[in-house]
Amino acid sequence: MKVTTEKTENRQAFLKIEMEPAEIEAGTETAYHRLVKKVEVPGFRRGKAPRAIFERHFGKDRLFHETLDDLIPDAYKKAIDDQKLEPIAQPQIEVETENPLVLKAIVPLKPITTVGDYHTIELKPREVEITEEMVDKVVDRLRHQHATWEPVDRAVAIGDMVTIDLESTAKGEAFINRKGLEYQLLDEDTGPIPGFAGQLVGLKKGEEKEWTHKFPDDYFRKELVGCDATFKVKVNEIKQEILPEVNDQFAAQVNAEFTTVAILRQKAMEEMKERAEHEAEHEFEDKVIEAATAMSQIEYPPVIVEAEIDHLLERNFRYIQQTGQDIEHYLQTIGKTVEQMREELRPAALKRVAESLVLGKIAEQEKIEATPAEIDAEIEIAVNNSQENKEAIRQALNNENNREAIENTLITRKVIKCLTDLAQSPKEKKEDKSEG
Amino acid sequence: MQLYEILRRPLVTEKNATLQMGGKYAFEVDKRANKMQIKEAVETAFKVTVMGVNVMNMPGKSKRMGRGMAITPNWKKAIVTLKSGDKIDLFENVQ
Repeated sequence: MKVTTEKTENRQAFLKIEMEPAEIEAGTETAYHRLVKKVEVPGFRRGKAPRAIFERHFGKDRLFHETLDDLIPDAYKKAIDDQKLEPIAQPQIEVETENPLVLKAIVPLKPITTVGDYHTIELKPREVEITEEMVDKVVDRLRHQHATWEPVDRAVAIGDMVTIDLESTAKGEAFINRKGLEYQLLDEDTGPIPGFAGQLVGLKKGEEKEWTHKFPDDYFRKELVGCDATFKVKVNEIKQEILPEVNDQFAAQVNAEFTTVAILRQKAMEEMKERAEHEAEHEFEDKVIEAATAMSQIEYPPVIVEAEIDHLLERNFRYIQQTGQDIEHYLQTIGKTVEQMREELRPAALKRVAESLVLGKIAEQEKIEATPAEIDAEIEIAVNNSQENKEAIRQALNNENNREAIENTLITRKVIKCLTDLAQSPKEKKEDKSEG
Repeated sequence: MQLYEILRRPLVTEKNATLQMGGKYAFEVDKRANKMQIKEAVETAFKVTVMGVNVMNMPGKSKRMGRGMAITPNWKKAIVTLKSGDKIDLFENVQ
């Protein structure tokens, strides 16, 4: 067997494997011995047919291809040893010529990551500021939530709640038919279709109205776009929204613990601040990771990206299935093929691969690890967060695979923490390492 | 009876494969053929020297045909011994 590496590109080794006739003969002999026990040749008991007669009966070509199936994995293994390669995934092997037998193999190799000097990253998280107006808005929303509705005797206006009997058809078929439908006119365009609410404005109690309407181009049900819909509405009742006064009583209504408006406002502010800070932190982490990735050089075989796309796709599909939809049906509704979805996921997959390689390398350089005790602690947290069946969850999490996954998550978290600390630290204290 | 009518087909079975190791080849032959004719036929057809011929009449088998029984034809089997070293490739020169 002669193995040559023709070239190495994108962390893929292109191997040429030339086989000696003697090796093929040996392989054929093994294949014959294996197959003769399974194939019945007329005139012979199983496993008793001589090679020549077996070849005649089974077909020389078929025997040769069976031989290849045995031979190729062995030859590949030897070739890898010979060239001292470390493949990270299954290779692509092709038979180039059969006589003499020449194989071509594309072997994906371990990625090479050269991390830039991430100590020089200097970034700050976004400043978070909560203004009085923002609090006002929250309070306003709370007022709407705690509003009461009172019947009024006037024409319908935007903001009202109406009780209507609705009969409608679309494309000649029944569309929405409901009696006593409670309907809130948020703005002109609310509706089963945009512009519906606008038609109701000005109607009086007991009044009826009939009109036709065209479905807009961006309507979510594709088959109805551009079709006419006819609506017939009878207004039964009109109610007006009465907003509560902002006073201590209102505060208590929102939450019994809030005795005064001041407390309500303060709590709202705190909550918003916390959320905004959380968001800013996320944004900041993303930026730091992006910066670290941008300054690094990475080389990896394309299979990694494909695997990541598979992973993302599978996650999306699982999510769709959880919502009770059939995947084929879903693909039809959005009008895309699996291939298109794969292409759409590609940029995200590329980013994820790059980031995970860079973070992994940094973890290696900074010697960041997760101890078994930390993993145990993490499992405990997950167990305590769950409501029922704690023991089962503990058991489900506490196995080899999940422990490894948790370990990876912990390491990633620590690396991010380390990076963000570095980015914020004054630059002369470069050697300062995070304890995470 | 012409020479090429004599040899009907080679018999390829496990038993005959064992015989072949001793230079003996089995054929189904025409019922009317005698040892001399078989010898000549094999020698012309495969370009070999025949040292001896054994023949035997094989009775046909009873086979069920629906409700009744039928009998497959009787036939003649010949085992031909070649001069040591001579070989017949049964699969390339089947007449």
